[in-house]
Amino acid sequence: MIDVQSKTDYGVTLSRFLKRYMMELILSLIVVVLIVTAPGFFTLRNILNIFRNVAITGVISFGMTMVIIGGEIDLSVGSSIALSAVITASVTGWLSQAGIMPMESAVFVGMICALVAGFLIGLSNGLIRTRFNIPTFIISLAMLYVVYGFSAIISRGFPVTTLPLWYNWIGAGRFFNLIPVPALWLLLAFILVYVIMNMTKLGREVYAVGGNEEAARLSGINVKAVKITIMVFVQVLAACSGIILSAQVMSGSSTFGRGYELEVIAAVIIGGVSLFGGIGKVWGTMIGIVFLGVINNGMTLFGVDDFQKYVVRGLLILFAVMLNTVQLESLGKTRKKDATAQ
Amino acid sequence: MSVLNARNITKIFPGTVALDNVSMSFYSGKVNALVGKNGSGKSTLVKIINGAHDATNGSTDIDGREFRYTNPRQAFDDGIATVYQEMSLIPGLSVAENILVGRYRMNGPFVDWKNTFKDAAQLLETLGISLPLKELVTNLSVWQCQVVEIAKAMSVQPKVILLDEPTSALAQNETKLLFKLIRELTRKDVIIIYISHRLQELWEIADTASVLRDGKHVGTIEMEHATHKELLNLMFGNVEVKQRPADVIPDEKAVFEVKDLTREPAFRNISFALKKGEILGIAGMLGSGRTELLRAIFGADKLDSGVIKVNGQTIRSPDPVMMKRNGVAFIPEDRKNQGLIQILSIRSNLNHASLGRITRGLFVDASREKELALKQIEELSIKIPGDEYLMTSLSGGNQQKVVLGKWLNTEPQVLLFDELSRGIDVNAKQQIFQILWQLARQGLSSVVVSSELEELLEICNRVIIMRLGEFVDEVDPDRLTVEELYAECMGGSES
Repeated sequence: MIDVQSKTDYGVTLSRFLKRYMMELILSLIVVVLIVTAPGFFTLRNILNIFRNVAITGVISFGMTMVIIGGEIDLSVGSSIALSAVITASVTGWLSQAGIMPMESAVFVGMICALVAGFLIGLSNGLIRTRFNIPTFIISLAMLYVVYGFSAIISRGFPVTTLPLWYNWIGAGRFFNLIPVPALWLLLAFILVYVIMNMTKLGREVYAVGGNEEAARLSGINVKAVKITIMVFVQVLAACSGIILSAQVMSGSSTFGRGYELEVIAAVIIGGVSLFGGIGKVWGTMIGIVFLGVINNGMTLFGVDDFQKYVVRGLLILFAVMLNTVQLESLGKTRKKDATAQ
Repeated sequence: MSVLNARNITKIFPGTVALDNVSMSFYSGKVNALVGKNGSGKSTLVKIINGAHDATNGSTDIDGREFRYTNPRQAFDDGIATVYQEMSLIPGLSVAENILVGRYRMNGPFVDWKNTFKDAAQLLETLGISLPLKELVTNLSVWQCQVVEIAKAMSVQPKVILLDEPTSALAQNETKLLFKLIRELTRKDVIIIYISHRLQELWEIADTASVLRDGKHVGTIEMEHATHKELLNLMFGNVEVKQRPADVIPDEKAVFEVKDLTREPAFRNISFALKKGEILGIAGMLGSGRTELLRAIFGADKLDSGVIKVNGQTIRSPDPVMMKRNGVAFIPEDRKNQGLIQILSIRSNLNHASLGRITRGLFVDASREKELALKQIEELSIKIPGDEYLMTSLSGGNQQKVVLGKWLNTEPQVLLFDELSRGIDVNAKQQIFQILWQLARQGLSSVVVSSELEELLEICNRVIIMRLGEFVDEVDPDRLTVEELYAECMGGSES
């Protein structure tokens, strides 16, 4: 940001700082309150557990960040978690029971199949979007059912548990007996998406397409390719989440991931990404993910019952989004004022 | 009979005098045309009459009773109805609902649909229009929408009806039908003010024409006795076309060629060759197909048939990605919404077309991105506080330059420029001209479309005239006056 003000106005600088880091400040505030009031919150293990708990939805949230900045949405990711988990476990089971290879290595084939399935779901979402110009809201809503159906058909409605022991490490392992492995996947997804969105051509194109599709098209940007890519990307990440979840509980079931799509979208929106596309930061999504995780953890520590948790979580999401909307609007205004003052 | 008088109207906008002491009278039972070229102040006058603007000075009255509205709604309720060129209808409602919107017959808390529809039917009957009342507006043609707009305006039994370029989107036969309807209105003691810049139709529809030039009322003529020459003289005065610099001369080598391009119904069988360093103008009235042609060449819309030859390659179905790769750049008419991404920074906007050039391996080279942005900001002298600011902080002229800069960053060979000076002030316009000439000297070829014909004469080496989707003539701008060019574009008879 180029400083255009001839003399530093501390009031303006402070208010701009507050607006810019609003969610970070609120999150810190909540953390401080929990440190003081919640027994057992501020232990290394608990903090790390928060990251483990948000990993499943968090990994997808980063993909969803790209999708929403690109002006689209994907509601089918929850079902994709289930399908991915079921495929991994089932393929492992078939291969090992048919004696083709031992379970320990068969699970790799299972995982690859799950990733391919995610790729194909994303590809069809993207192709239908670009070919027939149907909103992804509708496409992915329909796909949510289709994918759920497939996961139930493949698993015949029962949990599939044919998974090798080592596989548990992916979802429940700890480095040095401390750092949860899923937290690492979360970090990797963050880094990957951060790099794509901030340092690659694709990232620039996603912002452009989400910011103004027609202007992007008339700039010679391949809008269709960009849309298909982000729709595929989020689905592959959803498949990864399915693998992590199945490894955590050592089974694959069609009941996995139900409603997770909303949790994923909530994290992205709390993080300040505009549902209209074009605006948002990957770092913001990280804040959104942690925000939801901390709230959940705090309520668990206080022994809030599950039904009440829903109410609190819903209200907090609403509150966060309201704050962000105000913030986005006023950010636009102050910037504009600065520029015209010259 | 009643009469609307505008007396000594002056309207000053920051930096410009839009209307300078204008006095005019419009009579009922006649079609009073209000004409003038772009920027002559005719829409400002309309907006003062219908309350969208407040006059800086002067007064308006109908039969001696002064009026002054602060918003169009108030004027509408008081019997001054405006039919805008951009439709104000609600697509998801029926014809009858649209005509009477907000003024339905009520039966307690409920809408009395039976009587509402009856009202609408009656209204259409008195206007001599037959339209299916229950049809949704979204299913109507542009011309039918125009009729619904007029019916809506007539439904309040207005004293004044302002028609703002009502034929601009209509086909010829539809225009005839609309004229019939307007003629019908003249029997109803309503003051009809008809704004247009399609001059040829004035002889068909208007009784008088009041001409504005540079914010001044330069005369009112009776159409019955008027000649083309008279009217053009009033509109343009003695325009002196400025000369382009003598050293802007194209090479002989053709770099870009189009053959038999057709996209029905917009244009057909268009062929031309563009020389290196040439600035080619396409002149035509609104609806002549000039904008559609430019868009189709860039692949923004599909072509029905025809080929484009560039770089020795033959392209049959162009798309923007491919055309960009072949060194073609396109600046769309609606810069704000189609040329720029308003919510992103000036720096990213300046790089959107040239992302390939700032990518090294897998990653974007951020310093090169900044460098390319600053280069254009400097070379085009874009006035901004910093390249990280949002587009919205720029004026029209500067936004225009950003779109141009974005394309210059791709190092194009051919520039397609739609509506060169739309939405920018005189100074910015001159700067853009200078830039175009400079680029031409460096070998860039341009195709320029503009509704301001004198500007084409000023900047272009060659001007092609387009009428109703066809090329009708090619002229040398040095041997033509603006009036002659206008006459060519309008075509038709010399009365």
